[in-house]
Amino acid sequence: MRLRLAAGLLLLLSVPLSAGAQTSDERAFAQHVLNRMAFGPRPGDVDRVLKQGVNAWIDQQLKPSSIDIEVFDDEIAKLAPSLYLSLADTAKRYRPDYKKNESREQTKKRNQNRAAVQKQLRDAVLRRAIDSPRQFEEVMINFWRNHFSIDQNKNDVAWMAPSFEAEVLRNHAFGKFENMLIASARHPAMLVYLDNNISQKPLTDQQQRLVDRYGENENVPRSVAALGRERGLNENYARELMELHTLGVDRRYRQRDVTALARVLTGWTAKLGRKEAGFRFRADVHDTEPKSLFGTRLRGEGERQGLEVVRGLARHKLTADFITRKLCVYLVGDNPPESLVKNVTRVFTRTKGDLPRVYKAIVTSKEFRDPAVRGAKFKTPFEFVVSALRMTDAKMQSADRTQKLLEEMGQPTYRCLDPDGFADTAEAWLDPGVLVHRWRFAWDLAHRDLKGVKVTDATVGSETSATLSTLAALDLSQDTREAVAEAAASGGNSARLALLLGSPEFMQQ
Amino acid sequence: MQYTRRDVLKTGTAAMAGLALPGSVAFAQAQAAAKAAAAGVKPTLVVIYLRGGADPLNAIVPHGDERYHKVRPTIAIKNARKVNDYFGFHPAMEELANMYSAGTLCPIMNTGSTHPTRSHFDAQDFMERAAPGSREVTEGWLNRYLTATHVDAAKDVELRAVAMQATLPRSLRGEFPVLAMPDGGAGDVLDRFEAAYDCESSREARRKNGGEAAKDAALETPAQAMRRRIAESGRESIAQLRELNKASSKGGKGYPKGRLGNQLRSVARLIKAGKGLEIAAMDYDGWDHHARQGGSSGTMSNMLSTLSKSLDAFAKDLGPAMGHTMVLTMSEFGRTVAENGNQGTDHGRAGFMMAMGGPVVGGKIHGGWKGLEKNALVDGRDLKVQVDFRNVFAETLQTLFGFRADEHDFFPDYKSNEKSLGFVKRA
Repeated sequence: MRLRLAAGLLLLLSVPLSAGAQTSDERAFAQHVLNRMAFGPRPGDVDRVLKQGVNAWIDQQLKPSSIDIEVFDDEIAKLAPSLYLSLADTAKRYRPDYKKNESREQTKKRNQNRAAVQKQLRDAVLRRAIDSPRQFEEVMINFWRNHFSIDQNKNDVAWMAPSFEAEVLRNHAFGKFENMLIASARHPAMLVYLDNNISQKPLTDQQQRLVDRYGENENVPRSVAALGRERGLNENYARELMELHTLGVDRRYRQRDVTALARVLTGWTAKLGRKEAGFRFRADVHDTEPKSLFGTRLRGEGERQGLEVVRGLARHKLTADFITRKLCVYLVGDNPPESLVKNVTRVFTRTKGDLPRVYKAIVTSKEFRDPAVRGAKFKTPFEFVVSALRMTDAKMQSADRTQKLLEEMGQPTYRCLDPDGFADTAEAWLDPGVLVHRWRFAWDLAHRDLKGVKVTDATVGSETSATLSTLAALDLSQDTREAVAEAAASGGNSARLALLLGSPEFMQQ
Repeated sequence: MQYTRRDVLKTGTAAMAGLALPGSVAFAQAQAAAKAAAAGVKPTLVVIYLRGGADPLNAIVPHGDERYHKVRPTIAIKNARKVNDYFGFHPAMEELANMYSAGTLCPIMNTGSTHPTRSHFDAQDFMERAAPGSREVTEGWLNRYLTATHVDAAKDVELRAVAMQATLPRSLRGEFPVLAMPDGGAGDVLDRFEAAYDCESSREARRKNGGEAAKDAALETPAQAMRRRIAESGRESIAQLRELNKASSKGGKGYPKGRLGNQLRSVARLIKAGKGLEIAAMDYDGWDHHARQGGSSGTMSNMLSTLSKSLDAFAKDLGPAMGHTMVLTMSEFGRTVAENGNQGTDHGRAGFMMAMGGPVVGGKIHGGWKGLEKNALVDGRDLKVQVDFRNVFAETLQTLFGFRADEHDFFPDYKSNEKSLGFVKRA
């Protein structure tokens, strides 16, 4: 009943409002929507969204395919061709071809290829966040990039990460959660990153006795030496699959379930050849012994058993709660209202994890629209940098310096060391020292001192530039206003811009 | 295996296991340490993490072991700086070898994790959280120490720990706020932005006098509360950095160019300022030498030389303050005993640490060395872990700071039982 009412209200709301009838609250709401469903407004965006109608804009962003990006996509393809190659083709082109006793030239070439494919992905991620007209798509892919975090610096992940970005995140961020989870579980980048690739069924007692018998003896037969090399189970992925990707930490599962899941997933490995690259089920290392998960005996064995279990995790009610809560933290606030989490979890469950409908349930909720949640989030370094580059209409010729600064701010693109991805709460980021990097960035950007990035006269030439007047229209505190005026009096409009970008208010969204 | 201090004793310059001879560097440092303790100066721990899995055997070289030369035909060190008839230092670590002889440095061999991982990623993570195989604690061991010993002092600026680099090493991440800053300086940036962060006392005064604000915190909107948090963090950043800059006014010469030298110079300035710095941590990256590791010269040799010269400059720069300063180097694991097909080494198990400074029982090789014979190795290829790194950490915290790890359940599911290696002097 309540749901039907909400849907009716939604219909009403999605009628575009006429441009003339704006109130200051509508303006503030448009600003809020651009902060949360985009990486902040560009100058003029608030007016454009108001003109289109905030709800019409939201509806459009919820269907990314309705927004044409052909031209933009061509630019990205030029910047990062590896994002458009199959895994095997990426291997052919970029995979470090490691040879024994290689020459210095070969080493150099190998390192160059690795660096090139890493840079392509990092730059494309940044560029899309800044410029893609499908802003909400980028905002949500940023979420999933951290949810299914991989580190491009780990071994072969370097050249496999572009395919992961394209085939797992981009392909499924506006599809079903279950499909994204399965795609991630089978992608070589994840299999390598979380070591499932080297997880094998444990040795049988007989095999173990054989290995023990020879012990450290110098004359171990080859077959026994090979057994000894097998490292057996690796629980890394199984644990993270439950802890980070589905159920949430320490919920429902125990150590014995981690071990059981690792056994279920033995044989889920990656083929990394140049002719063929992708998922490969290896029956020879798969554990066919009976297994129990959460106290229930699992049926069957083999690849199918794994698929069933992963699917079961995707559909688990704790997963619906865990994913929903995380999405609400990201889109609404660090401590989202329980009422919202509960309602959206219901949508998640009812739609079997249909993500666009889950997103819609959040951004059309009364909680998302409550003025109290506006400006209550602290931008991550990535959000801060991207929103500043958008606000200043900066043109990026080289992203190298910006990437370096992001690293200094603690958020190097695609290089999160932990499998839990970068956090997006103030608690994780608001430490002493953090702001100083942001001030330096703001100062350099505003003074055209940020290498590879151009800010034009249109931005800093006059106090009434679109950028400066948009920033001045923010809800600024008295302290900030005074500080900006003081800085401008001695340092002109560049100082004015720097102070505005480095102000506490611009750190908020 | 015997490894005596024969050379040391022969030259008669220095210390036996913690016994400092009058006139020696160690003696001078011991005197300085006693004075510092009497004056209430806190000791400082400087942790240097050699990322990538530093090779123990080409740093602390078992030159007297035939097997070493046999399994490393192209990369074995032939001209080690011998400290006894079994062990020597890589020739690029001449300065560190001198400290060993002077009784202010000791290697600890066969250190490592109870978890068998050979993944950089996991091994570093487990080590820096001091929680092998466990995800129970998310905070670094150094941060946990800071949190556990935090007294809510009235002091508004506290510089108990720093990382003079862009991001905190994982060992320092956690609840206790630690400043991460690549260098001091930043003065101009601080000046430019402090007004926006409400730092001027006049503004504060105006507020206190009931100006526009003085709002009840309960009436704050979430956005206002967030702005306040940000402003407070900005204020704290500025205050801590000012403190750091004030303390960092004095120079420091002789450091090699590069990140490590710069970081150590900055840390030395803070220690010399005597503001109560307890912990500094830093990374030295690039020890993953799978190919062309080099021998007496080459890639690894250059890095060992940088380490040695930087630490030498640090010790000279600190002078008497080195008496209450301890440097501890570590890495996530060691490397294969034998070289591979690319004149390099692959990931192994046990690694090594080095401890240096006044509090150290130098001139001695600690740890549980068992030789290089196959039956002494793991999987027939790697050094076995004989010293759990948690015991090294526990002994360090206890002897330097009087912090008893076991009493605080510091390590998840593990007690060090205060098993002392004896590499730090007891007060």
